Amino acid sequence: MSTNPLLSINNLTASVDEKTILHGIDLNVAPGETHVLMGPNGAGKSTMGHVIMGDPVYTVNEGSITFDGADITELTPDKRSRAGLFLSFQAPVEIPGVPLSSFLRAQIAGRPGLEMRGKEFRRRVKELAAELSMDTAYLNRELGVGFSGGEKKKVEMLQLLLLQPKLAVLDETDSGLDVDALGVVSRGMDAYRKATDGSLIIITHNTRILEHLEVDRVHVMVDGRIVREDDASLIPWIDANGFDSFEREAAAAAAGETR
Amino acid sequence: MKMPGMTIKHASAMPAPTWSWLKMNNVKIEIPDGLERNCQVEIDAGDALDNAASFEGSVASLQERMDAARAEAPADGRAMIDAATGADRGAEKLDVPALSAYEHRAVRSEIACDIASDFETGVGTDIRAYLNFLAGGTAVLAAEEDEDAEAAIRVTTRAGEASGASVDIVAAPRSTFSVTLSLDSSADAPSFMGSTMRVFADRGARVDITVYLTASDAVTCVEDSGFVLAEDARVTVRHVVLGGAFTATGLSADLRGDRSRIDVDTSYLASGAQQRDFNYVIRHRGRKTVSNMDANGVLTGISKKCLRGTIDLVHGAKGAEGNERETVLLASRGVDNKTIPNILCDEDDVAGNHGATIGHVRPEQLFYAACRGLSQEQTEALFLSAKLEDAALRAPDEAVRANVVRLGNQIIPHFEEEIA
Repeated sequence: MSTNPLLSINNLTASVDEKTILHGIDLNVAPGETHVLMGPNGAGKSTMGHVIMGDPVYTVNEGSITFDGADITELTPDKRSRAGLFLSFQAPVEIPGVPLSSFLRAQIAGRPGLEMRGKEFRRRVKELAAELSMDTAYLNRELGVGFSGGEKKKVEMLQLLLLQPKLAVLDETDSGLDVDALGVVSRGMDAYRKATDGSLIIITHNTRILEHLEVDRVHVMVDGRIVREDDASLIPWIDANGFDSFEREAAAAAAGETR
Repeated sequence: MKMPGMTIKHASAMPAPTWSWLKMNNVKIEIPDGLERNCQVEIDAGDALDNAASFEGSVASLQERMDAARAEAPADGRAMIDAATGADRGAEKLDVPALSAYEHRAVRSEIACDIASDFETGVGTDIRAYLNFLAGGTAVLAAEEDEDAEAAIRVTTRAGEASGASVDIVAAPRSTFSVTLSLDSSADAPSFMGSTMRVFADRGARVDITVYLTASDAVTCVEDSGFVLAEDARVTVRHVVLGGAFTATGLSADLRGDRSRIDVDTSYLASGAQQRDFNYVIRHRGRKTVSNMDANGVLTGISKKCLRGTIDLVHGAKGAEGNERETVLLASRGVDNKTIPNILCDEDDVAGNHGATIGHVRPEQLFYAACRGLSQEQTEALFLSAKLEDAALRAPDEAVRANVVRLGNQIIPHFEEEIA
């Protein structure tokens, strides 16, 4: 673990509607590292991504999030984004009435080093679309409206490459994709790493997407707690054995706590 | 000479009013005080500018066909007819209904089957008279039988002036007529401009009308139109209303001929304290007639909007279908939005559908945009710029596009550069 982490989560407890979802999470991600957050369905992985990004649906009851040396626990999501955080959505939102190109242009407006106007912007976006095998006709369509699941994920990757964040949380970007779309997403992640040397937190319960990635740390989450951390060797083990043992251990620990 | 201010009451009135206390039945149009009449209208129509054709003559010719067809039809013995004509003054028949004032007028209109007297425009006779006065005369644009024609009409006004256009569009059988109307002004002091249009689409004619309204915040603007469609005529209308302190857009269509069809697509934007008023009345009188009204708008600031959409399925319009839909995005909390879809029906074998989607930017949309660095204000502004961008991309010509860009530059920083 680096002594100067880019992202540092300390004893984070978060809830929604007075129900605690995350319990005392500790996580550190150093610049340039790739971390994987795995776990069974309902473990709290997506919640973790949303809380890192500051989703107002969740309340942080305890703990803190530090990013790039600043405490961002109270920061609004738009400011976290501008600070260099990115969340790729598992189910990207549709925004009828707003063309994708307008949305992309608004994102880079006012960002030092990224702001582009007119032809330069269009050229850049077309380059990225080509890199992701994405039909440029989508750029003039309303954001997400009528897009297939694969196209929506490509749009997420396009935004990742356009914004070049310091740290990207990819929330099950691989879910529901066919082999071709999965390849495009993998290419997107590679391109991001090459272009920025940024950090990644990949939330998944599928190990296929990780095959071409150099993973630094793996975190296993069960019932809102990180129950195991290890290096990349944990991935093939999970691939072979699943999460059953972690769930049993977590259940036993919880039973011990209540006694 | 400066003209005194004027208030036109009961403009854009719904044919069948609802509760008065809702204050939605009609609108009051305030013409600013002290304006000078100065008609600033340019018409670029080439050979289509025609003094031989006339709206009245075309209507009379359709009337002859309708009368001939009615002469062969069996007599209408419905109790409604007795009620409207007072044929049963002794109250001997038990099934004669009592009619409301509206029903009485409607049945009398059915009996008379008088196209000229049924003709109406969306905003109404008073504003039409005022616009005719401002225009000083009516230009007739005509497309001849089986021919294609195009016309561009540009209306503008300056600060302290009132300007208006009066135009008749006559599309002969099987002709195609494409008309662009631009109402644009960058006046920085109270002023008025408007247009009144009568459109006749004869048998199998195709008429496409595109209207762009790009006035500045100081301008009161009225765009009024009335349509008569003969058999198999097809009309499409696109209203793009982006600017103007107060705007009233009105359209009334008489789908008189069998299988005639009108599609109206409205796109609007209101920001600051602007006010938008729309009145659409589509009367299906011919069999198997079709109408579609689609409106899509964005309201921000403390703007106000009222849209009345009436589909009238008149007795005899068997197989007719009318649809109206509206999607409104309320991009800020201070806006006042009113939508009144209204379907009137006096025929069994018809279909009328309406729907409205009215909403604020949803929390999950706000969060998604925030995750990409956009604050709530920036996200709301995005809907505004997207509407302007779409209008610029789909502008019918360079001049209209330039008007949209000028307006866009006032609202969105670097708008022109962004869409270059």
